Amino acid sequence: MDLNLVLQSLISGISIGCVYGLIGIGFCVIYNASGIVNFAQGAFVMIGGMATYVLMTDYNLPYAVAAICAILLAGIVGAVVERLVVRPLWDRNAAMFVMILATLAAQIVIERLAYILVDDQPKTLPPFTDIAPIRLGGIAVNYQSLWIVGCSVLIILALNSFFRSTRTGKAMRAVSINAEAAALQGIPVSRMLTLAFVLSAMLGAVAGILLTPTQYTAFNMGVPFAISGFIAAIIGGFGKPLGAFIGGIALGVIQSMAILGLGAGFKNVAALSLLLLFLFFRPSGLLGSTR
Amino acid sequence: MTAILEVTKATRRFGGLVAVNDVSFKVSSTGVTAVIGPNGAGKTTLFNIISGSIPPSEGAILLAGEDVTALKPEAKAARGLVRTFQLVKLFQDLTATENVKVGFHLKSRGGLLAALFQPAWAKQAERDAEEKAAALLDLVGLSKVARTSASVLPYGQQRLLEIARALAAEPRILLLDEPAAGLNAEESERLAKTIRRIAADGTAVLLIEHDMKLVMDIADEVVVLDYGRKIAQGTPEAVKKDPAVLAAYLG
Amino acid sequence: MTNSPSTTSPEAPGLARPHTRHFGSAAVWALSAAIIGYALVFGGYMATIVAFALIYAVFVSGLNVFMGLTAQVSFGQSAFAAIGGYTSAVLTTTYEWAPLPGMVAGLVFALVAAFLIGFPTLRLKGHYLAMATLAIGLITYEIAVEWESVTQGYLGISGIPPLGIGPFEAVSDRAILSVLSVIVVILAFAVTRIRRSRLGRAFSAVAGSEEAAGALGINVSRYKLVSFLIAAAIASLSGSLFVHVVGYVSPEVFGLHMVILAFTMVYIGGLGTVAGPLIGALIISILPEVFRGMKDYQDLAYGVTMILILIYAPKGIAGVAGALDARRSA
Repeated sequence: MDLNLVLQSLISGISIGCVYGLIGIGFCVIYNASGIVNFAQGAFVMIGGMATYVLMTDYNLPYAVAAICAILLAGIVGAVVERLVVRPLWDRNAAMFVMILATLAAQIVIERLAYILVDDQPKTLPPFTDIAPIRLGGIAVNYQSLWIVGCSVLIILALNSFFRSTRTGKAMRAVSINAEAAALQGIPVSRMLTLAFVLSAMLGAVAGILLTPTQYTAFNMGVPFAISGFIAAIIGGFGKPLGAFIGGIALGVIQSMAILGLGAGFKNVAALSLLLLFLFFRPSGLLGSTR
Repeated sequence: MTAILEVTKATRRFGGLVAVNDVSFKVSSTGVTAVIGPNGAGKTTLFNIISGSIPPSEGAILLAGEDVTALKPEAKAARGLVRTFQLVKLFQDLTATENVKVGFHLKSRGGLLAALFQPAWAKQAERDAEEKAAALLDLVGLSKVARTSASVLPYGQQRLLEIARALAAEPRILLLDEPAAGLNAEESERLAKTIRRIAADGTAVLLIEHDMKLVMDIADEVVVLDYGRKIAQGTPEAVKKDPAVLAAYLG
Repeated sequence: MTNSPSTTSPEAPGLARPHTRHFGSAAVWALSAAIIGYALVFGGYMATIVAFALIYAVFVSGLNVFMGLTAQVSFGQSAFAAIGGYTSAVLTTTYEWAPLPGMVAGLVFALVAAFLIGFPTLRLKGHYLAMATLAIGLITYEIAVEWESVTQGYLGISGIPPLGIGPFEAVSDRAILSVLSVIVVILAFAVTRIRRSRLGRAFSAVAGSEEAAGALGINVSRYKLVSFLIAAAIASLSGSLFVHVVGYVSPEVFGLHMVILAFTMVYIGGLGTVAGPLIGALIISILPEVFRGMKDYQDLAYGVTMILILIYAPKGIAGVAGALDARRSA
C-alpha cells in the first residue's frame, strides 16, 4: 500500500480524533459531576457549527465573534437541559436508563428545533485560515487539521489548569470524588451539576465549530458524533478526560485506517466494533483501573 | 457435635490490610451460633467469605463436609446455605407474599413453558407455594401485611420478611447479618423469639450481631473476633468472662 | 460514584396484586379495543395506522419483558426485528418459502444471535449495557446497508407476499387487523402468565436486587439471558409481521428511529404493565395523525412528550390506571 496514503489517512485520523476526544471529555465532565451519561451531547456539537453558520450568514457577524456567540449559546442550552430535563429526574433519584432516555429525548427536541428554526440542508463553514495546505513530500497537511490539533491541545491544557488551580475547578473535582463529603464541606453540589452541563456543552460546541470546515453540519449530525465521543470516552476509561482525548485519537486513527483498508462503508462498523471490544474485554478502558 | 459449617484458616487481605486473619471455627448443625466483635473486627468480611460474595485469600469453607470455598452465592444457596443482608434487600415492587414465594425458587421448578401453559402440576405448585408462604409469614408475624408491597413496610417488618423469604429456601444453615440492627426493643424481642423458633425447628443459625443482649439471650455458641482474629469461642457465659474478650470490648 | 446498575429502579411498577378490582386497567383495555374496533369497522387510512401500531405493540411487548419485568436495558432490540424481518423477506422472495416457515426461520436466527450476543453483553451493567446494545443495533443496521447481495442495501426488498397459512391469506385491512389483534392479545395473555409464575418472580427478583436473588439460589445471568431471548424472539416476530404486512423492507425500518419510538411507547403505556405496550403503541401511532399537517413538529412532540412523561408520569398510562385500582381497593 502507498505509504503516503497511509500517512495522509493517519493525519486526518488524528485531527478528527481530536474532535472525538473533545466530545468525549464533555461526557466525562458531566459523568464525573453526577454519574449521568448525557446522551444529548451531540446536540451541543450540532449547535456549535450550526449557530456559527447562522450568525455568520444571516447576521453578518465576523467568524470569531460568531463562533464565540455559538459557544455561549451552547452553554445556555446546556444549562436549560440541566434545569428542565435532568434536574427533576435527578431530584427524584430516577433510574439510570430513565436518565438516558430523557437526555436522548432532549437531543431529539434540540435537533428538531434546529430543523424548524433553520432548515434541513447540510452546511459548511470556511476554513479558519484559507491558505494552501503544507506539502511534506507526497502528503498534504491542511491548516484546518493544524487548527483542530492546536485548539484541542490548548483546551486540554486550559481544562487541566481550571480543574487544578481554580476554586470552582477544585470544587468540581471534589464533587466527582465524593459528592456527599463535598456537600458537607459547603460545596454547592447542585450548582456544580449545572456548571458541568454548561462546560460540557461549550466543549461540544467547540468540537462542532472545529470540525464543520472539514466536514459539514446539519440538524441531525449530532448523534453519530456523540456516539464517537462516547466510544472515545470508553476507550480512555470513562470519566478520565485525558483518557477520552487519547481514546478519541485512537478511534480517529483506527477509523481512517478502516476506511483506507476496507472502504468508507466500514467506518461505523469499525468504530462500533471497537466499542464492543472494549466493553467486553476491557471495560475500564486504556487508562482505567477498576472504578 | 456434628458441624454443618466449617471455617478453616480463613484469611482475607485487602491490599496491605488483613481483614480476616486465620480464623477457624465450626458451626453446629443445631442451635444458634453467633459471631461478635467490636467495629472493624472483620465480621462482615468473614460473613461475605462464608456466603460467597467474596473469595478468601486463603483457607476453606466446608458445608456439610463439602468444600464450597470457591462457589458463588447461588451455588451455596442450592446446597442449603442462605443469607440475609445487613441493609435489607427485599424485592421492593413485590408484595410480602410474593417476596416469600421468590424464596421457593430452589425448591420448585418450571420455566417458560410451565408459565405459559400452566399444566396441572404447575398450578398445584403455585397453590402449595401460596400456602407455605402464608405459613412462613405467620411464623414471623406478618400475616396481616401479606398483600402489602414490601417497599411500604416499616423497617422492622422488612427484616422479618427477609428472614421469612430466606426460610422459604429451606436452608440447612441460615446466615443472618446483623438482624437486630435498626430494630426497637419490641421488634428485637420478636426477632429473638423467631430466631429461637427457627433453631428449634431444626435449622442451624449463624448470626453476626452487634446487639450483645440479643446474642447472650439466644446464642448457644459465641465466636469472638478482634482485629480479624478469633480471640475466643464458647458458651455466652464463658465468653462473657473471658479476659481477652473483656480487654477487646473495654480496652 | 459507581456505575449504578440498572437494577434498582424505584419506579418500576410492581406485579398486579390479586384480589383487587381493575376498573382502571379495564378502561385502558376498553379504550384500546375501541380504537381497534373503529379501525376494523371503518377501515381505510385508520386501518393502516392501527396495523402499524399493533406491529409496534408486538415489538414493545418483547422490550417490556426485558426492561419492565427484568429491569435491564436494551437499545438494540431493533437488531432482532431486523433479523426476523430480513429472514422472512429473503426466504419468501428469493427462495419462495411460505410466510410461516420463513417466520420460524427468522425466529431461530434471532434466538441464535441473541444467545451469542447475550453472553458477553448481559454481563455489563448500567451505561455499558445501554451502549453495547445500542452498538449492536447500529451494527445490524450497517450490515443491512452493506450486505447488498442479500439485503439489496438501501434499495430494500420489495414484493414480499402477505401473511398467510395455506390457502388463507391476510390481504384485506380487516384480515390483517384481525390477525395482528389476535397476536397482540395472545402476547398480553402470555406476559400476564409469565408475571405470575416462578419464571416471572425470578425476573422480578433480578430486577429488585441481583445480590438478594443470588442469595436465594437464582442464577442471575441465566435469567437475564432467558429474558433477553424472550424479548429477541418477540422482536423477531414483529419484524416478520412488518415485512409481510407492508410487503417491503429496507434498513431504515430498523434504524435508531424504531428504538426511540418503541421506548416512547413502552414509557407512555407503562413499563412492566400488561396493557402498556398496546395502549402506548396505539397512542403514539395515532397522535401524529391528530396533528397531521404539522409533520415538522412530530418528532419535536415525541421528544417533549417523552420528557414530560418521564418527569411527571414515570409509570405511564397503564401504570397510573393500575395505581388508581390499588388505591381504590386499599
